[in-house]
Amino acid sequence: MRVVAGIDCGSGFTKAVLVAQNGSPTSSILGKGRAKSGINMEEAAQSALQSALENAGLGRSQVDYVATTGFGRYGVGFRDIQVTEITSGARGAHYLFPGSRCVLDIGGQSTRAMTMSESGKVRTFKTNDKCAAGSGMFIARAAKYLEISIEDVGTLSLQATNPQPISSVCAVLAESEIINHVSAGVSVENILRGIHDSLADRALAMLKRVGMEGEVTFIGGVALQAGIVKALQEKLGAKVNVPPDCDYVCALGAALLGHKRLALKENSASIQEVS
Amino acid sequence: MRVAAGVDVGSTQTKAVVMAENGGRSILARALVDTGANVRKAAENAFLTACRNAEIPPTEVGFVVGTGYGRYNISFGNAQLTEISCHARGAHFVCPSTRTVIDMGGQDAKAISVGSDGQVLDFVMNDKCAAGTGRFLANAADVMGIGLEEVGPLSLRATRAIKIATVCTVFVESDILSYLAQGKKAEDILGGVHLAIAKRTLSLARRVPIEPDVTMTGGVARNVGMVRALEEVLGSKMQVSPDAHFMGAIGAAVFALEKMDQSFESSMWRPEHASGSGH
Repeated sequence: MRVVAGIDCGSGFTKAVLVAQNGSPTSSILGKGRAKSGINMEEAAQSALQSALENAGLGRSQVDYVATTGFGRYGVGFRDIQVTEITSGARGAHYLFPGSRCVLDIGGQSTRAMTMSESGKVRTFKTNDKCAAGSGMFIARAAKYLEISIEDVGTLSLQATNPQPISSVCAVLAESEIINHVSAGVSVENILRGIHDSLADRALAMLKRVGMEGEVTFIGGVALQAGIVKALQEKLGAKVNVPPDCDYVCALGAALLGHKRLALKENSASIQEVS
Repeated sequence: MRVAAGVDVGSTQTKAVVMAENGGRSILARALVDTGANVRKAAENAFLTACRNAEIPPTEVGFVVGTGYGRYNISFGNAQLTEISCHARGAHFVCPSTRTVIDMGGQDAKAISVGSDGQVLDFVMNDKCAAGTGRFLANAADVMGIGLEEVGPLSLRATRAIKIATVCTVFVESDILSYLAQGKKAEDILGGVHLAIAKRTLSLARRVPIEPDVTMTGGVARNVGMVRALEEVLGSKMQVSPDAHFMGAIGAAVFALEKMDQSFESSMWRPEHASGSGH
């Protein structure tokens, strides 16, 4: 049995997933863990991995290979390989929902949409590389101003009765719009649903640009918020797949890709031994 | 002597100017207050403070023009005009050779092409993104743990300005943190940040296009680092008046004096008009 750790070094959190493969292509997820990302990516990766190891009941020496992904993937010195979060997100989503051909990934500072082939290979993608519009930061700043915890945002948003639109694209300027809503007496629920609607609009525009078709799988930390999932489904007019551990999908994908790479490496090594 | 006032209700600060016409036009007093959540109250405060500074009873102010994003919340205003017209007019009043205004305020950045009489010929505006606004700089100052007024002077001391690829306020925030963690100097980081914003603002402004003289207005004009970065990218000097922050309110006050003339004239004509219709 080979154990590979996939570590996704995101802007907000670092997530680690341990995946085992036993010769056959069937993989099993052994454990997961996360840590807050900070200035030191290596430290965050270590502690996320440690918590995944504890979750799985394994020791560090039992990990055969480490694959990193996410914006801080180069900051982890103990990695064996790194993959982009576009590749890893598609791979992870494909593993969980083999019928899905389109992935939406909204994280702390990023929004990505990609389409993929039947085997989970990325065909087209778009990302918000220029600015934080449409990313989780938009929600995080609003939650901070409204003095509510980020975990409560999703459920509060579901209770909205009269959502107030937020027109701003910019996560920073949206704050002023929110201030105006608050001083006009708009309820927190209606403001939050307005934010989710605004984010869903942006996500939908990105999905269209990437050439969305078939089932959409929604991953990333923001997919944890029920309000945005509802807003997206309403605008899309269809259900979207949201895996229970939607924030670990890139880490999972990295681990799966790590396995593939490890098997290739071991194969070529054994060929060399034979020759 | 006839007195009028202009009140510029900006997103962050509200400015009021009291102006007199007595042969020529002159600024009697200014006032500056934080806008806060109660826009109406801020406008009132700024106006009354300016009147007090001018030692003129508010009842003697013949006409008030409101401008800025909160202009329709001014309960005592006689007329409202866009901040674009007012900045152009204010810049023309302070510096008649102005042909381009670059206005960087609390939440938006604009470039205005100005005619020889202070009229607006064309403008471009960025209100979708906080880059180049006071909010951007306030955020950068926050992240670095320094005061907003220190950001500009500190950036002037940069010896090796860091190249900053993004101008998104949120992304720059994490960029600054990682540069600080790498041990880069605060002044070099800020030098890079100011330069990136100057480039972006001028690429927006070039759409009007830019003709000399260029006058900078808005609260960000008080940031010496931004002024220098803009001049560096522009390749020429700008007019930066100590009243740059008040330019919208000054323009509004000039318009108020003119409108006062018109309403005075129309009130003179009214009886004549009435007798005419009586025949």
